[in-house]
Amino acid sequence: MLTKIITASLWGIDADLVTVETDAHPGLPALNIVGLADITIKEAKDRIRPAVMNSGFRFPGNRITVNLSPAATRKEGSHFDLPVALGLLLLQEGAPAENAPGWGVLGELSLDGQVLPVTGALPMAIGMRKSGIKKIMVPEGNAEEVSIVKDISVYPVESLREAYMIYTGQVYAGRIARRDTASRKTCGKSEPDYADVAGQENVKRAVTIAAAGAHGLLMMGSPGVGKTMIASRMPGIMPDLDYEGALTLTQIYSVAGRLSEKKQIIRGRPFIAPHTTITKAGLMGGGLKPKPGAVSLAHEGILFLDEFGEFDGKLLDMLRQPMEEGKIAISRGGRNAVFPCSFMLVAASNPCKCGYLGDPKHECTCTPGQIDSYRSRFSGPLMDRIDLHVKVEAVEERDLGRKTKGLSTPEMKEMVAGARVLQRKRQKARLNGELEPAELKKYCPLGEEERKFMEKAYSSLGLSMRVYHKIIKVSRTIADLAGESEISVSHIAEALQYRGLESIYHR
Amino acid sequence: MSETEKEAGRTGIKCLEIDDEDYPDLLRKISDPPKKLYCAGDMKLLEKETIAVVGSRKVTEYGEKTAYKLGRILSEAGAAVVSGLARGADSAAHRGALEGEGGAIGVMGCGIDICYPASNIRLWEKVRDTGLLLSEYPPGTKAAKYMFPRRNRIISGLCRAVIVVEAGIHSGSLITAELAAEQGRTVYAVPGNIDRVSSFGSNKLIRDGATPLLLLTDVLEDLGMTGRKDAAGDEKYDQLGPDEKKIIDAVSRLGELSVDQICAETGMHPWTVNGIVTVLEMKGFLHVYMGRVFTEQ
Repeated sequence: MLTKIITASLWGIDADLVTVETDAHPGLPALNIVGLADITIKEAKDRIRPAVMNSGFRFPGNRITVNLSPAATRKEGSHFDLPVALGLLLLQEGAPAENAPGWGVLGELSLDGQVLPVTGALPMAIGMRKSGIKKIMVPEGNAEEVSIVKDISVYPVESLREAYMIYTGQVYAGRIARRDTASRKTCGKSEPDYADVAGQENVKRAVTIAAAGAHGLLMMGSPGVGKTMIASRMPGIMPDLDYEGALTLTQIYSVAGRLSEKKQIIRGRPFIAPHTTITKAGLMGGGLKPKPGAVSLAHEGILFLDEFGEFDGKLLDMLRQPMEEGKIAISRGGRNAVFPCSFMLVAASNPCKCGYLGDPKHECTCTPGQIDSYRSRFSGPLMDRIDLHVKVEAVEERDLGRKTKGLSTPEMKEMVAGARVLQRKRQKARLNGELEPAELKKYCPLGEEERKFMEKAYSSLGLSMRVYHKIIKVSRTIADLAGESEISVSHIAEALQYRGLESIYHR
Repeated sequence: MSETEKEAGRTGIKCLEIDDEDYPDLLRKISDPPKKLYCAGDMKLLEKETIAVVGSRKVTEYGEKTAYKLGRILSEAGAAVVSGLARGADSAAHRGALEGEGGAIGVMGCGIDICYPASNIRLWEKVRDTGLLLSEYPPGTKAAKYMFPRRNRIISGLCRAVIVVEAGIHSGSLITAELAAEQGRTVYAVPGNIDRVSSFGSNKLIRDGATPLLLLTDVLEDLGMTGRKDAAGDEKYDQLGPDEKKIIDAVSRLGELSVDQICAETGMHPWTVNGIVTVLEMKGFLHVYMGRVFTEQ
């Protein structure tokens, strides 16, 4: 006699269908699991026996073989517990030979028969949905997470007994309510607001431009001037995440095991701030079974590199390719796992080793050699992806609450949204910061007067050729923020103020 | 003639003996003048009025600006500006001096054919080609720590006046000032912010009797020279727009300002201010360093 139960196996943020075949035959009592199962699954048999018995069922006394098909791909994870146990019960209890079709099952078991949440439930549900499975049984703790998938019915279960009853159709009226995506909670009211960042209007302007055009941003400033405070508010001014974005992001977080029962769906844009000691695998993703790294956790949000100058230069250089492609492929055992990673890069740094170069209130204690060597850290391919550079100044008390009114997060968000609408109209899916040099002529043409101004700026400000494209892109975004279709001299003039380290260290 | 002197002659380096006619008179009269003075460049500069502008190697933006302006003003008035070709204030003074007709004289603390610090190579070459390099050490002598304080007596010895732009507590330019005072030269010091360690040395000089430099042109007046009036600059200013003038006035009135401070001062938006500052930078009225806006005038 044979039963088959459908479940899934994770690979990156994708999932393949796995059929759990259970067969009982005469012989010494034993439970063997085959099909390239890892240690978590091998151990499952010792969890399943007590779980089955503690749920009030009898454990089969004959020789049982469980095959995880296809047998040639590696499988990992505790979510195989429930499908294997269900297969056993169907054999034991002699359930109808016609196994309930169209079901997919995931769940970990505890020894008392409870069904526990698993990592990767959402991507596995999506994977099963792609293969035509419409009814998915998940642990109660994953119900909300999986419920955002369209076109499936989610059956949350709390115990093995409940799972068995629902699967065999003995309970219809039980807990088969499908969760709806409608339960969107609005974001908490205590979100930090830019109105709290007083007297930093210049940096807030740069932040608005960066968010509007998806430009990389570098903030240079002495310790304690509020760089982190400014950066951490950036997700708040970016447009709300759409359904697709939230789905992908939740998939990434699900695979990374970053979801909790309280937070099962990622609805806000992430802000990820890795420490300078982060490893390559931590930043880019990795592991025997590929897991997403910080770049993917920052998908659709902000990757904030504080103390930028302290990061390993090689590590930073590696960021360039994923930034350009918006995804990162991790190759393991001849197979690629692809994680999306379209993030906005925000970097912050001290201007020098001691941090006080150019500070009007403190003395810089670095030697000229130290300043030169610190400065040389801000070079390399990654810097080409950072279009805006701005110096963050300490706010003096006497300047607080002076003439100009500070912008708040909702105001900045509106400006960003307006500028993004114009960009989408003009260049489809790409934002200004993502334009390739070749596309600039098409989308960001300069008039005669503007071209002359640019030339003059080059000679009189001593600009290098490599900042040319950055200036054009940033000017385009400034024009979009102003709601204007043509780039004018005043837009270029403003963009030149964020032109790069030349304007910060000018010597 | 020794071997090194022959070698020197071949590479355009001249060697002045103390009793040569061309040997600078002022220098000959100090208590321990160098017996030989190696020169490379335009010897005529030694006939001009010579004024030393020295300062700390690690200057603030204020010191750097002041040294540059002094160098330029003195040179435009026809004086040759003498300094030590070190980083910081010395380099700024040389750069300013190269702008005018007076020219720059660099007194080296090592062999005249060696650029020290090496990172200053462009400036060093420019001073060699259009100004004058001097050293008491034979060509090929590598720099050593003790040579620089010795070199300072030549800087002050060559000049009637020595201006210390910015000096910290242990700055070498204090040695120059001390030697200058011993040699009977007029010592000027540029007053600095009393909160800053980097101005402590120069302020202390004022307390000890140096003349505080209240206007950059004070030196010229004292030496009986006339500075060049920058009428063109005033005319350029008059042609500016009202917003541009507002920003320049705010920066001149309050010294260095951040963009946020300019916004608070003028009531303009950062995007407007940033654009105007760029234009004014291009027109040569302002410049930006480390997020702070300075006047160029």
